Amino acid sequence: MRLELHNVQIRDIRFGNTTRIQDGALSINRNELRTLLEKDRRFGQVDIELARPGEKCRIFRVADVLEPRAKMETGGEDFLTFAEKHSSTGVGKTCALKGAAIALIDLRKKGGVGGGAAPRDDIIDMSGPAAEFSEYGKMFTVALLPQPKEGVAATEYLAALKLAGLKASAYLARVGESVPADETEVYDLPSLTDMAGGAEGLPKITYIYQILSLQYEPIPGEPTLFHRQAEGIMPTILHPNQVLDGAITSAFPGLNTQTYRIQNHPIIKELYKRHGKDLCFAGVIVMVAHNNVADFDRMANIAAGMAKWVVGADGAVLTKTSGGAPELAMARTAQRCEQLGVKTALAMLHMGADYKDAKFGALTIFDIPEVDAIVSMGFPYMKLTLPPVERTIGYVGHTPGEPPPEGELEKPLGSLCGSLCQLGSSHLTAIRY
Amino acid sequence: MLRVVHYLNQFFGGLGGEDKAESGPGAHEGPAGPGRAIQNALADRGSVVATIVCGDNYFAENIEKASEEIIELIRGLQADLFIAGPAFDAGRYGIACGAICQAVIQKLGIPAVTGMHAENPGLDLYRRDVYIVSTADSVRGMNDAIAKMAKLSLKLAAGEKIDKPSVEGYFSRGSLANEVSDRTGAERVVDLLLQKLSGSPFETEVPRPAYDRVAPAARIDNISQAVIALMTDGGLVPKGNPDGIETRTATRFGKYSFKGQDTLYPEDYEVAHLGYDSVFVRQDPNRLTPVDTMRQLEKEGLIGKLHEEFYSTTGVANIVETMSRLGKQMAEQLKAEGVSGVILTST
Repeated sequence: MRLELHNVQIRDIRFGNTTRIQDGALSINRNELRTLLEKDRRFGQVDIELARPGEKCRIFRVADVLEPRAKMETGGEDFLTFAEKHSSTGVGKTCALKGAAIALIDLRKKGGVGGGAAPRDDIIDMSGPAAEFSEYGKMFTVALLPQPKEGVAATEYLAALKLAGLKASAYLARVGESVPADETEVYDLPSLTDMAGGAEGLPKITYIYQILSLQYEPIPGEPTLFHRQAEGIMPTILHPNQVLDGAITSAFPGLNTQTYRIQNHPIIKELYKRHGKDLCFAGVIVMVAHNNVADFDRMANIAAGMAKWVVGADGAVLTKTSGGAPELAMARTAQRCEQLGVKTALAMLHMGADYKDAKFGALTIFDIPEVDAIVSMGFPYMKLTLPPVERTIGYVGHTPGEPPPEGELEKPLGSLCGSLCQLGSSHLTAIRY
Repeated sequence: MLRVVHYLNQFFGGLGGEDKAESGPGAHEGPAGPGRAIQNALADRGSVVATIVCGDNYFAENIEKASEEIIELIRGLQADLFIAGPAFDAGRYGIACGAICQAVIQKLGIPAVTGMHAENPGLDLYRRDVYIVSTADSVRGMNDAIAKMAKLSLKLAAGEKIDKPSVEGYFSRGSLANEVSDRTGAERVVDLLLQKLSGSPFETEVPRPAYDRVAPAARIDNISQAVIALMTDGGLVPKGNPDGIETRTATRFGKYSFKGQDTLYPEDYEVAHLGYDSVFVRQDPNRLTPVDTMRQLEKEGLIGKLHEEFYSTTGVANIVETMSRLGKQMAEQLKAEGVSGVILTST
């Protein structure tokens, strides 16, 4: 399966009469995009705002971030990268606007400078220390702000919000097709049965990837896997190109995972980079983190059996999604792999860890002897002081007594969208002193 | 040159064995016993100006008084640095070393270091406040312990950055820091897996936690006579959350009566918990705390009686120490209330 990314580097962003790219500047016809998104009857008015890297601008209530992408050479069959039919996901050419991002703003709730008791990673600062931690602060950003229509349920709104992101992604990236690529990236990996040809001596590595947690009720109609809600799936084998090319989006509330990261999946890219040199990249097994012990075990057995008997893997990398409970599902799956002779290494954020817990020194909520190779990607409670900004996007309905949204804020890393990553993009590691 | 004061118990201080364990504290000029090795390790950077010797029993029986007496002795010696032990696996000695180091740090504001074995009961009492070097369980680990203690002490006295526990050889004090690695998480996890597959030694970044193993209580022999209580960490509380149970990392629990009721009514309850989608519990609290089913079993005579209060707290992102404390309190109260068994429901 061969995927070619036609990468167009975006160096500026502005509103204009025509949506097009000229000398790296993305010009957007605000009304045209707005009209496209307002066709969704679950929305009232849809506002669109722009933010540039380095600007003293703070974006609130970010529900997801996407990279603009569009399939090329499909004969007009599909409009979206994330096409309902998915006839060419992972093959052929896809245009990607690098350095640009679409931020989906969830306008259901008001206020929120102080944040709830549970930090959500929903703030992007376009400058200052937060922008150092998160690459989203370094992107030319198109923020979509759809008002929920009266009477539309939260779940309907969120499903529509995700779809709006996909539509805008394809709409914007389509104008990159006619622009020469600044760079072409090729992802070419044969089928599993051809995989070991010439690479017999290398360890076969598969990636076991949790794409959804049932800690929270999945949102009906949210396109998370091949345009369907992934809730009911059994562990499934995918070609890594399909993951990179829009098969998966970050399911709400995707804690520390955005669709952007999946489109640029750090672990998949790393396995690709080392394929044929240090390892043989033997596919991706996607699975859901369940919320009960029987399903932890069932899914762990299925995924581990798939890694061992279908893929024939020697080793597996595992990551988790969302908060604490999926950690147990990941660890159980790793344990089953080890029991079947598939060696494992895990990478995780410490969502369940507490800096006060000296006695146990625990950075995991599981304690399984076979699960002995774990990479730490940091913990969310580290505080950052965000300097004042000149304007905000996505902030509505100031609650009396709350600090002003433009003012200096103290926020944990876990509140800053993109500063932590479940999929391995950051350099952070937690050390217990 | 740093003025160093060293602490020893009666045995290492040369007073004698158990028969001298009642001796009160006294200061002696210069190093004694293991203090001579410490002096060697400090070389020209520090001088062990005095050794304080105190009997283990004297200290253990009067911790506060003995600490104060020792602090006064050290105060008079104008110390820059305090070193205690190492205590290895000696429990009373370890507690004394930890307690005095803690007092020195808090009251005299100078650095203090001790050393002990991982099983020493002094470790968990003082590791948050005191750098405690990891030692063998007996005196055969003396040289290694003293080398690490001296090195760490000098770094602390010089105000240098203390490296992570695995490098310096001390027990982690619990604080967690995010640091920047030269490689991304993705690069490191693939490296780690390949290392593991190659059969060469590999180092996990996340050590395995040492959770306590809890032996289950004996089974209830006569269930038809038993009083059964319901308990949850799913955060079910009466409307208004009267005990103010936190929605995450809760530090308290509540007991809520449903006396005379065959079921819990949704209008009476809310959920203080941020770790799961509680909509189904709010629709019907019996889904979390099955009072309705338990009443049925009570009527059928399968159980003797349903305890008429349910216990509730919030488990999300909580820490073992807090939950152990809450668990003990809950168990004590359940026992006092004559409950013979409890059904715990989680989320």
